[in-house]
Parts: sequence; structure tokens; C-alpha cells
Amino acid sequence: MSDRKPNLASERHDSLSRRHFFRGMGACIALPALASLASRQAFAKQVSKVAPTRMAFVYVPNGAIPAAFWPTATGADFALSPTLAPLANVQKHLQVIGGLQDLSANPGADGAGDHARASGTFLTGVRIKKTAGADIRAGVSIDQVVADQIGHLTRFSSLELTCDAVRKSGDCDSGYACAYEYNLAWRSHNQPLAPEHNPRFVFERLFGAGSPRERVANLKRRQEEQNSILDYVLDDARSVNAKLDGRDKQKLDQYLTSVREIERRIENSSRLAVKNPDIDAPAGVPDSYEEHVALMFDMLALAFQTDSTRVSTLILSREGSNRSFQDIGIASGHHDLTHHKNSPEIIEKVKLIDRWYVQRFSRFLEKLQSTEDVDGRSLLDHSMILYGSGNADGNRHTHEDLPIVLAGSGSGAFKPGRHFKTPGVPITNLFLTMADAMGAKQVDSHGDSTGRLTLG
Amino acid sequence: MRAIPQSREDFPLVSFKLSRIACASFGAVALGLAAPGFAAPESKESKDPSIAEYQSVISPILETHCYECHGDGYDKGKVAFDALDTDEKILKPDLWLRVLNNTRAGLMPAEQKPRLSAAEQQKLERWIKYSVFKIDPKNPDPGRVTVRRLNRVEYRNTVHDLLGVDYNTDHEFPPDDTGFGFDNIGDALTTSPMLMEKYVAAAQAVVAEAVPTVPRKPIEQVVKGLDFDGTNARVKWGKRQLVFSEAANVAASFKTNLPGSYRVKFNMQVNGSYYPDPGKARVVFKIDGKEFLNQEFAYHDEKDYEFVSTHKWQPSDHQLTIELQPTVPAEKKETIIDVFVQNVTIEGPLEKAHWVKTENYDRYFPKAVPDGAKQRHAYASELLTAFAQKAYRRPLSAQDGDDTGERLAKLAEAYYREPGKTFEEGVAHAMAAVLSSPRFLFKLEAPAAHPLNATVADVDEYSLASRLSYFLWSTMPDQELQNLAARGELRKQLPAQVKRMLADPRAENLARNFTGQWLQARDVEGIASNPREVIIRDAGEEESIRQLRKAWRSQDEVTAKRLAEYIDKIVDAKPEFDSDMRKAMHRETEMYFGYLVKEDRPVVELIDSNYVFVNEKLATLYGIPGVSGPEMRKVTLPAGSARGGVLTQGSTLFVTSNPDRTSPVKRGLFVLNNFLGTPPPPPPANVPALEASEGEFKGHDPVLRDILKKHRENPMCASCHNRMDPIGLAFENFNALGMWRDTERKQPINAVGNLITGESFNSVAELKRILAGEHRQEFYVTLSRKLLTYASGRGTEYYDVETIDEIVKRLNANDGRFSALLMGVIESAPFQKMRTQATATVAN
Repeated sequence: MSDRKPNLASERHDSLSRRHFFRGMGACIALPALASLASRQAFAKQVSKVAPTRMAFVYVPNGAIPAAFWPTATGADFALSPTLAPLANVQKHLQVIGGLQDLSANPGADGAGDHARASGTFLTGVRIKKTAGADIRAGVSIDQVVADQIGHLTRFSSLELTCDAVRKSGDCDSGYACAYEYNLAWRSHNQPLAPEHNPRFVFERLFGAGSPRERVANLKRRQEEQNSILDYVLDDARSVNAKLDGRDKQKLDQYLTSVREIERRIENSSRLAVKNPDIDAPAGVPDSYEEHVALMFDMLALAFQTDSTRVSTLILSREGSNRSFQDIGIASGHHDLTHHKNSPEIIEKVKLIDRWYVQRFSRFLEKLQSTEDVDGRSLLDHSMILYGSGNADGNRHTHEDLPIVLAGSGSGAFKPGRHFKTPGVPITNLFLTMADAMGAKQVDSHGDSTGRLTLG
Repeated sequence: MRAIPQSREDFPLVSFKLSRIACASFGAVALGLAAPGFAAPESKESKDPSIAEYQSVISPILETHCYECHGDGYDKGKVAFDALDTDEKILKPDLWLRVLNNTRAGLMPAEQKPRLSAAEQQKLERWIKYSVFKIDPKNPDPGRVTVRRLNRVEYRNTVHDLLGVDYNTDHEFPPDDTGFGFDNIGDALTTSPMLMEKYVAAAQAVVAEAVPTVPRKPIEQVVKGLDFDGTNARVKWGKRQLVFSEAANVAASFKTNLPGSYRVKFNMQVNGSYYPDPGKARVVFKIDGKEFLNQEFAYHDEKDYEFVSTHKWQPSDHQLTIELQPTVPAEKKETIIDVFVQNVTIEGPLEKAHWVKTENYDRYFPKAVPDGAKQRHAYASELLTAFAQKAYRRPLSAQDGDDTGERLAKLAEAYYREPGKTFEEGVAHAMAAVLSSPRFLFKLEAPAAHPLNATVADVDEYSLASRLSYFLWSTMPDQELQNLAARGELRKQLPAQVKRMLADPRAENLARNFTGQWLQARDVEGIASNPREVIIRDAGEEESIRQLRKAWRSQDEVTAKRLAEYIDKIVDAKPEFDSDMRKAMHRETEMYFGYLVKEDRPVVELIDSNYVFVNEKLATLYGIPGVSGPEMRKVTLPAGSARGGVLTQGSTLFVTSNPDRTSPVKRGLFVLNNFLGTPPPPPPANVPALEASEGEFKGHDPVLRDILKKHRENPMCASCHNRMDPIGLAFENFNALGMWRDTERKQPINAVGNLITGESFNSVAELKRILAGEHRQEFYVTLSRKLLTYASGRGTEYYDVETIDEIVKRLNANDGRFSALLMGVIESAPFQKMRTQATATVAN
């Protein structure tokens, strides 16, 4: 942190405009049950509750320019790299981990399609089937492996989010079905969990619709009504299912598991209180992408803070995204730019984009850090937030040395605040360690894992 | 079930354009390696006549035309025909599908080498289709469609037809995953817990909006927001807008005709932008001069308010006034905060004697609700059985043990027996259950009666009705289709019904959803673009921008101002590229296709024609004079125009561009993929799909033609780019916004080129003529395949080759008219039939 550049301070100051305060920070600060950091000490004495550990995966597309991403020094007091510089305020909560790889995303016999593979394999760790749609096959993603075990402890076993509201028509990456690029979480090898992009809908799913006062009652009433509907449709589904086979049966199975998941949630809701934040729901999808990202991070923070879920995935942009960043003067598309042909001018632009994403992430971490959990420690202490991409060098489509930052200590499971390099191990090894920290039992392997990654 | 190997049709051979020398040296290496293990196929005797034919007829053709690169030790594209040393390898369909596609498209034998004679080609095709693919032309395999969930377009339309409610699924549901380029593919459509949750919530919302919960209620009058007029009564988004920072006074009136009690509800909304604003304002609402609301409001995002008051009135006229008084000085205003006057509702007389029947009541409850519990239950069962049959798109047959009606009646009864609930609410609740059922959400199909041992059968009439309506209308079958299916007469009256359906306004959905995806017209309104950058780049004024930035940095205001004005002038001289322009482009593509369908035009007009659909805005972009007004219309082009056909439509040119410039690669690929059906293989792994090698041009900003030329210097890139680039570069006269341009970066555009198959052209107009002429057959095949995919909900397989050939034959026999294509698809085996064994779905 010694090399913190003076301009960063002013950059941060700008970002904390009033708009951000209201739209971005307001959501969490206003929570009645959870005091701000300022009153932490007074609060800590009265609290003896055990806070849960949470896990989230935040996905950024197209890798990162390696030279600007990786800090030069390793160890505890490393100087942040230009791309990671916005994380200065939370540096001691980070582990920057080099040498992690996702070899399942390599072309092998499948040829092109590194973007679809990068996201399709990222949390599943298995090779994905190259298909334009006939027989999609990935694997169960690590978030779902964990959610399967601890999901019953919260109202939502997991929460899938995205900031990509618009989809392209037609084909996706080089003969791969679009499902691989637009979803990160996979409940089974052929059932991706579509993420929600509208912050308002996320909020209403979590806490119900209507004014803050009516919300919980509305949610309860709605769930009671839904219960009897679900009984009926399960009967219908069973009568249909008996007559199906093969892939048709798989489709109905997806329907059945989905219905059961809602039933389970309703059942959980009768046991687990809704911690209703005394704030209004967001209005919807903002026009500005920056606002959208800020709001989605808010929703994620809110979900963790209210212990509505402990497992989440957030796609900031789908892999291969060609979004342009007009606000920072970049008119060309992100993906096009990453194939930069070593043009210094273009590389500079990609670095700006990489850093832009890190900046959004840093604000989220700062919020988690300034939000107090039930035991008086910060929400960030009780979290493991993995930030990164399944592509390393977007220009060459490599999947070794993935740009990965792990924030939070997982309730003390490891000691963050360092940069270290693994000798080149599957990222799934890290996932196993995270699953352990989440309290998942007997997850012996995941995808291409070769063991567990030891974190300090 | 038969084991059917999986293969995809859209995976042609790599086309090689390496020099002969490269071929030879490459091959020599391969020969050295392959020689020791070489096994001669003819050494093996086989009893299979397909193999015998291969050895006697096919192998000699391959030896003559293909071994130069794919035999005798050469294995370009990893294909060596003499390495097929077992019967199994010889009869594997995927290789032969590539052979079929590439020989037909003229891509193989590669350029400069002699082509197969017509007789040879015919022998090869016959052997592939009937011996390898084992297609039985009299009883073709219809393939297997995985059960399809309604996608969000179909869901919206279906709910609308069923209940008259427009539920905005684009907003409420996540986008559907696509497969084979379309969002109605059974295999690609999945269901997640979140979606399920949304389905149940949607069902409840839709039913709540549609179904009346009480039989009678007080008369209701609505005074709309726009009925209020007066000082500073503004309009925004079609609503009556009052502004926080501006005093307003608006009024409206209504009449009461009967004496009694009345309830008045005043609905308004406070709506700020995302930026909070310190502004505050007082709103005063008066009825007949008496204040009923006097309250101060502050910034909010879309917050709704309702204020209710009750009155005793005689028949008379009444005056409503709304005053807005700013309470924070206008100077403090940062953004605009609106008060939207939504409406004022007057209910009354509230005395029961004056109540009237609820709107739409008879539609859902044709009889009066009976008194006894048993009778009520029976009535509920009757209503819900009828509704479920409609929603499930097939009858519920009691003899099949279907107790749906009874289960629904029970569900309704449990609800309406709760205190405070009406019978109607109970029935509505059960209707929400119907809309959440897999029998509503999935298109479940069943075979018609068939012999036990038949492997293929017609789909039953109800399935056919659904296939037709979702294909042509993207919605459920209407009453006529259902009636015909019930009588078993739909299949007999197919052509007449198709004609009727195409004349129906719902047929717009075919144009919208098919072209929306095939031609990506749906993306026009959403994709990122930077019109300013495009125009500046076209004008070759990027240097001016660099100078401008420099002037800013050095705070040279005089130069900055001069340059900024200079650049603005260049940009302002071009038509404004805004959301209306995008809408017009999107609409043109839909209307163009719709016209083709309605007028039964030849489908080659998709490539080339002498007409466009434009409004004033789009006409300005196209440079067509004399079109005024916002409505879109057909305009005939002057002779020699480069427009006409979808390839030179704004929508296509725009979606195949990057945000800041054209992309000849994307455009070339678009034509190869969607019109010729010969996409190049994807770029080799780990080699960037670049075009941006601008850095290599020192001292000047290069044009794309030069950048791509540089790229093709790498032989590995050249083999595919030789196919894409010339096509894409032919369109360079159209910029990234679809405007005509003569220069790029101050250099004249050169659209000259030649196709990999040999034809040369000097302009985009000539290229279109070649595509519509010499390459018409490939276009027919590609279009047929796309439409069959969309119609059937699955990707095409090797065994569909015969089906597609038949459709193309019909096109050729009917001047290529759209009806030939459409009826070809509808009457094909994949659309009419299904595999039987263990594939039956519901048959209740």
C-alpha cells in the first residue's frame, strides 16, 4: 500500500458522489438491524452470535492484460498492480493468486470457442460438449455443490445474478450453444441456472413486493397461495412424466426440480425470518451500465447481509462480451479490443476496461467491509468473494495463470493480504478449499481438481 | 429405438487454399508417417451392398478427384478416403455429409481442380443419401424433437389469446437460451427454479388482471390524466405531466346521474430520474372547490400514490382540480421531477341496488353462481375443465383416467371456502394453477393412431394444430384449428388453413420471430453503436479528433473550439442516427419478409429486388428523396440502385458492424452462414480473430481492405478469409450505420472481388446478382434448412437431406415462390410426423 498514488484518492472521492451514496450505498447503510462500522465497538460487546460464511463468484469477461494485472512482488506487503490499484483500501483482505488454471477450457479437439469454454468450464471444471443446442452438457458448478449442502440454512439456496440485460440473436461462440456463455451456475450437467438481470426483481424475490411495511405480509400471502398451486402442478407433472423418456424426461425433470426448489424455499420461509430492509426496491434496470453494476452489487450485499442466501454468482458481463465503455472514452467493443495485435494504444484501452471492472469490485468490497455482521466483525470477514475470468490473456485465449482475486477470510479460514503464485494447479483445487470453508462435507473432488489448494 | 449417430449439417470441410507446393510438401510428411500402417480397403470383402457400391462406383470417383489431397498419403483437413479401412468407417454419416455439402457448393474439389461431372456427382449423392444415410424416400425419418417449453414470445402471445392480457415477458422473464440460432429449440430451452417462480407469479398476475372476482359492482367512471387541462399541463410519455419546479393548475369534470354514495380515487405518481433532486412541491386536489388533499411531495423514483375520499351526491356536474405549487425555488432544481396525473376513478352509487355486472364477467362465468356446495363444486369443475382444455391445447379425456377437472375444482373450492373469498376468486386461483402446469408450459405432443410396429407415425391432429399455430403465429391454436382437430379434419384441409392463417394479423409473428433471429433483426434496437465515431472515421477525420484532444490538454481553447465546430459540422451533415432510425430498420426487415409472404414473392428477392420499405427517416439514410412522414411504406427503387434485398438493408448492415466501423469479416460470415450455408470453419484455436492490425501501418490510418490484406498474408488465415473477405468487402460502400459512402478515410472504396468459387464482381449489385443467380440453389437449401429448423424446433440432421432436397425441388418448380417453401416445410416428415417407439408423450 506504500505506493498508493495520489490520484487514486481523488478518483475515489469522485466516485462517492451523492448519487452513488443514495443509489449505491444507501441500500446497505439503511438496514436497521446492522449497524455501521462507526458504532461497531459499542455493538460488539452485546453480540455473541455466530455469523455464517458466504461465498460469491464474480465473473469478468475476456481475461485481463497480464502485465498490468499481476503485481510484481509476492508476499504480504506487495505493491498493487495498475489494474488492481483501485483495491488499495481493501488490500489487506485480498489474496491475489497466480498460477491457477482452467485447462478444460483449452481447445483440445474442439477447436475455436474459447469464450464459451472459459465461462462454461469456469465453475464446473469439466470439458463442455461442443453443440449448437442439441445436447448441452457441462457439469455441476461448485456453487451448486455447496448450495446443495448448506442451501437449506437460508431462504434461497443460491442466487444467480447478471448485469447483461441484452442478448444477441442467432449463434453464439463458434458452434457452442449460448447457454455456456450466459450462465455460470449449473445445477446439473444440463440445467443451467439462468441469472436475473433486473435489480428490482432480485429485491422483490428476496423480500417481497410493495412498500417496506407490507412487504413481508405480501410475501407470506403469495407463498401460501403458491403452495396449493404447486401441489396441483406436481400432480400434473407426474402424469406427464410417466409418458416421457429420454431428453423429454430430462426437460420435465428440470421442471420438477424447479418446483421442488420453490417448495423448499416456502418451507424454509416458515422457519427462517425474512430480514426486511427498510428501504424501497430499486426502480428497475438503469440505463447506465455503471449504475446497473453498482445496483447488482448492492443486491448481492443485501442478500448476504440479510442472510437470505450464502452462495451467489454474478456475471458482470458474459464471456466474450463486446461492450463499449463510452464513459471512459472507449468506443470500440471490449472483445474486439482484447485482440490487440500488440498495439500499445489498444492495450492501453483494454487495461482501462480491466481497471474499470476492478473499480466496481472494489466499491463492493468496501461496502462489505463497512457493513457489520451479527458478531460485530465485517461482512467481508465472513465472506469469500472470488473475482476473475476463465480467460487469462484475452488476446491469445489462454487459460493458465487466470486473473484471480479472492477477497475475505472466509470467517478466518485463511489469512488474506498477500500475493502468491501456485506452481500451476487447477482452479478447482481452490474451489475445494472454499467449499471446505463453507462447511460442505465430503466434496472430495470437483471437475479436474487434483487436490486442495492450501491457503495461508 | 434405432441408434442414430449424431452429426451436424453445418460443419463443412475446411477449404484449403494453400499453394500446390505447400500441399505437396505437407502431404509428403503425412505419407511418410502413414505408409507403414497402410491398409488397402479393397483387400476386405464385404457382403453389404452399400460397401460393394462404394468399392465399385464411389471409390474410383474419389480416386480421380479427391486423392490428390485426401488420399495416397495426403490427409488435408484430416480427411483421407483411403484410410477408411472398415465398413463402419466407410458408412459413418458425418464425413459424407461434409462431402455432400462441399461438392454441391462447389467448394470441393478445391479451385483449379476439375469438378465432378454431373453423372459422377449424381452417383455420389445417391450413394450418400440412400446407402450411407439409409434414407427411405417413401418413409423418411422425421427425427426427434425434444419437448419444447413455450419461449417468452410464445408465452406472451398464448396468454394474450387465452385471457386477453398483455403480460410483458421481455421485461419479466429471463431471455431464453438459443440453439441452432433460434430460441424455440426444445433441447436448448431449459427450466430453472427462478423461471418456475416467475411462471407461478406470472400466472397469478395474469389471472388477477383478467378474471373478475365479483359478479356485480358499482358503476365506475374514469377521468383520465390527459382529460385534465389548464395552466402548465404538459405531456410526457403520453401521460399528463406536471413539473415540480413549475406552478400548475389543471381541471376536469364528470357527472353523477344517480343519487347516492360515491368513492373517488385520485391516482398520481412522483417520478424523478436516477439522480436525487432537492426539489419539493405541494399538490392540492379539490372536488367541487373543496380540498381533499394538500400535501408536500419530494423526490422519488416512480412512486405511486392513491388518495380516496367518499361523498354523498345528487345527480349533478362535478369539478376536479389539481394544483401544483413548487416549495423549493426553481434555481435549486438539478433534474426534472414529474407528477404524473394517472387518473381519477369515481365509483358509485355504492348502494347495491345500483350495482352493475362486472366487465368481462360473462366471458369467465356464463351462468349465475349456484347456491349449494355441491352445485358450486360442479360449476367450478365445468368451468375449469373447459379452461384447461383450451390452455392445454387438447381435450381432457375422462376415460384416460384424467381427473384434471376434479382436481382443479377441489383446488378452487379449498380457496373459495376460506373466509372472505368469493367463488370467482377460487376459480381464478385454480386457473393460475393451470397456467403453471407443464401441460400448459410445454408443447406436449402425441402420435395419431398407428400400427403397433410402425416406427414413424403422424402426429395427432391436436399436435399438428399446435405445430402450425406456433410456427406461423407464435401462439396457441385458435378455435377454428381446435375444432378441426377435434373433428380430425385439419390434416385434410391443410393448404386452406395455412392460407387462412397467413392472412391473419398473427402471421406477423412469423416475419418478426423468424427474420428477427435468422437475420438478427431483433438486435438492431439493442446493440452498441457509436454513430459519431463511424462518421468521423469515414470522413478520415480521426486526426482532427487527435488534434482536438491535444488542444484540450494544452488548454488551447481557440483551437479546440474551432476543431469541435469543424467536427460537429461533419457529423451534423449526416442523418441523425437515433432510436427511431433503429426502429425503422428493424421494421423494414419484418415488413419486407411479411410482404414476401403475403404476396407470395420469389424468395430470391431476399437477396435482390428493386424495392425497400422506408419512412422519411430511413429514406434519408438510404438517400431516397420524396418520402415524408413517419409511416413505413414500400418504395420502388430507381434503376441502378445498390439497395434492394435484405443484405443491403440498414438492419443487416448495422448488426454486422462493430460499434465504430464496418466489419467485412462479420458481413462475409453473415452471407456464408445465412445465405450460402457454407460457413468457414471457426478460426483456429488460440489465433486471435483479429482484424485490428492497424498498428502495422505507420504514418497513416489504413482502410479495412488493406488491413485484411495484411491479415491474409498469413496462409493459415488466408484459407478462410479468402472466402469471407471478398464478400464482406463488396459491402464496403455501406458504412457501419448502413449509409452509402464513396470513401473510407478519404480513400475511394473498392468493392471489386471474386468468390472462392470463381465468380468475379465489380460492385455489391453484381455480387447480389451472382448470389441470386449462380448460387441460387445453395440459397434455397440454406433458407429451407433455417425455416425447417424454426418450424420443427430442432437442428437439422444428416437424414434431413432428402427432406430439404424435396423442398428445394418444389421451389425450383414454382419460380422459387415463398408458398412452395412454406408448404414444403409444413408437408415435410419432420413437421407432420414423429418417431413412435417410446417417444409418445401425453395421450390423454
